[in-house]
Amino acid sequence: MRKKALSLLLASSLIFSLTLTACGSKTTETSSEKGSGKLTIWAWDPNFNIKVMEEAKAIYTKDNSKVNIEVVNMAKADVEQKLQTMLQSGVKEGLPDIVLIEDYNAQKYLTAYPGKFANLSDKIKYDDFAKYKESLMTVDGKRYGVPFDSGVAGLFYRTDILEQAGYKAADLNNITWDKFIEIGKQVKAKTGKAMLAFDPADGGVMRIMMQSAGQWYFDEKGNINISKNEVLKEAAKTYKAMIDAGITKPTSGWNEWVAAFNKGDSATVCTGIWIMGSIKAEASQSGKWAVAPVPKLNASSSVNYSNLGGSSWYVLNDSKNKDTAIDFLKKIYDGNNDFYQKILVGQGAFGTYIPAQTGSSYSAADKFFGDQKVFTDMSGWMKQIPSVNYGKYTYEADGAIMAAMADYYSGKATVDQTLSKAEDQVKNQISK
Amino acid sequence: MAHSKNNVVTKNQPNIKFKNTKYNSFEKIQNRNGWLFISFALTLLLIFIFYPILYSFYLSFTSSKGLISKFVGVNNYIKIFSDPMFITALKNTVIFLLCQVPIMLLLALIIASILNDKTVKFRGVFRTGIFLPAVTSLVAYTVLFKMMFSMDGFINSTLMTIHVIKEPIPWLMKPFWARVTLIIAMTWRWTGYNMVFYLAGLQNVPDELYEAAEIDGASKIQQFFKITIPMLKPIIVFTTIMSTIGTLQLFDEPMNLAAGGTTAATIGPGNSLLTLSGYIYNLCFKFMPNFGYAATISYVIVFIVGLLTVIQFKVAGDNN
Repeated sequence: MRKKALSLLLASSLIFSLTLTACGSKTTETSSEKGSGKLTIWAWDPNFNIKVMEEAKAIYTKDNSKVNIEVVNMAKADVEQKLQTMLQSGVKEGLPDIVLIEDYNAQKYLTAYPGKFANLSDKIKYDDFAKYKESLMTVDGKRYGVPFDSGVAGLFYRTDILEQAGYKAADLNNITWDKFIEIGKQVKAKTGKAMLAFDPADGGVMRIMMQSAGQWYFDEKGNINISKNEVLKEAAKTYKAMIDAGITKPTSGWNEWVAAFNKGDSATVCTGIWIMGSIKAEASQSGKWAVAPVPKLNASSSVNYSNLGGSSWYVLNDSKNKDTAIDFLKKIYDGNNDFYQKILVGQGAFGTYIPAQTGSSYSAADKFFGDQKVFTDMSGWMKQIPSVNYGKYTYEADGAIMAAMADYYSGKATVDQTLSKAEDQVKNQISK
Repeated sequence: MAHSKNNVVTKNQPNIKFKNTKYNSFEKIQNRNGWLFISFALTLLLIFIFYPILYSFYLSFTSSKGLISKFVGVNNYIKIFSDPMFITALKNTVIFLLCQVPIMLLLALIIASILNDKTVKFRGVFRTGIFLPAVTSLVAYTVLFKMMFSMDGFINSTLMTIHVIKEPIPWLMKPFWARVTLIIAMTWRWTGYNMVFYLAGLQNVPDELYEAAEIDGASKIQQFFKITIPMLKPIIVFTTIMSTIGTLQLFDEPMNLAAGGTTAATIGPGNSLLTLSGYIYNLCFKFMPNFGYAATISYVIVFIVGLLTVIQFKVAGDNN
């Protein structure tokens, strides 16, 4: 009797769950008209792009109550792994409708998974956005993404430490890296502090240097440009010069790096604008920071404006609510000025939407940065960032160069040997 | 199994033909039901184990850029020999194998034989304590080690306070020290695990052997080399093979020790912690996705594991 009851229970629960899943898949299938349905969005930073999307969701669902938006938070590597595995396997279920992709990866995804992302060429007004963003989401003349945040780079510095060493704000404006090292030596001698919080295994600063001269690991056509790239050579030399001069606070990994300037071990940090949230996390340093344009290289093409990172939104072509997804991105990210003011104040998200940059929030003075009009300055720099083609293989090149740099630091290889070794490796990597 | 039973039956009753056929039909039903019963498990096995093995073998003859994939024959297997990244990964893996496994196994053996001594007090506490790291999560312990071994972490500041070193050691900044850190971390995590195998093996070594040796005047060290090691030989072979396979598939520890590089694509300074599995990960998810080439490398790992296992059996195993 008990056995029978148990088997009945099992059977009924099985049938029940089967009908349930059937119902579940039905509800998602029926809604396809514009202005309704469910949107799933993948992004990776709960303090940054997740919150920005939540904000966008709140604004959009006010007018479009039928749309149900779910913002899913995952680690960045997880977003990439899940997306790639699903695109590779060809399944259509389980993919998001909108996904955030890092700019360095955009060309790779767009060419490796043709037809998987929605073509937005005539849906989005690309003239509204910073010029350099548009080119990196264009493949064969078709434009795919909706530009989101900028990685406009700056030299964030501690005014108090530099003052102690006898330097004023004007001394850091539009300098070269050579001058930067010179100042660094003085800072080290007079205050005992390191000039720059710096991860020697990380190619971030190198990419800032290269883009400041309008160069990359590849030329405009996508051909490898490493061993004969004079700009890259100077960047590599500068890396070693900074380490040899002892002006860096060497760190390994993100956490140590952030800790280094939060603890006040270094006078500056040179990176993208998205670091501001982490700088401000140390409230006791309020009023002691300022930001200057990045130092430039000696190469004639180099300017004091560059970029590091940044990301954009992409719509999946297989999305069941593709039109809703596009409508959502268009209404909020390409046209809502207030939204951009809000996320700038709330999350420090520095959009690449140019019409928004005349808004009130962008011209406000920031107390943390000694009443400097940080965003006005940075939006001015953003417009002058040289545009480069990141190509499909940025991470292959970065991996190859940073691997070869270890021997250069220790003196086992010259800069030419280092670069040609890296070039050979990249060549091998991408000849498939 | 059904067949062997059938043979027995026909042997015992060769003359009674009609009964035999009857039995055969019964056997058939049993056979069919037997297959029916295992069919479910077998289907799962085919779909989830054999199909991926065969498909990845096929994949290893293709080269892909995301969805665009082409058949390249044995090209991938030729390419690995001139791929500097693969050679770096292989070199690193071999370094970890040759340095870490012997240190760890010898340490485990010594600790096991000490803790097997009945005169040692609080044996249970020590055994538990040394085994405990083996239950921690790979990621969690690696992250802890990364914090402890940072430039101004616990290890450096301790060593400096007790005046062992003057300058902080750049544990995770220089290739050499990064490898040392990884070896220390792995030894901490896995020594206790191997010790338990040796302890179990030691329970089967009769005390009389040690008593006899003691009467003959053998020292503790002689006993260790002349009794303990020979008696534990099969277990030593087993742990060596397990550790070899584990090291060749090493992924979690180096990945997490190096992880969080602000925007980096290298694993460890100068790729010093890049292992074969780490390279497979990079090929699939960090670089232009090439699952074909990644499958080739995983088959190379299979080949190396097989080869090393055969060698270890030949060198250390019994002759039967």
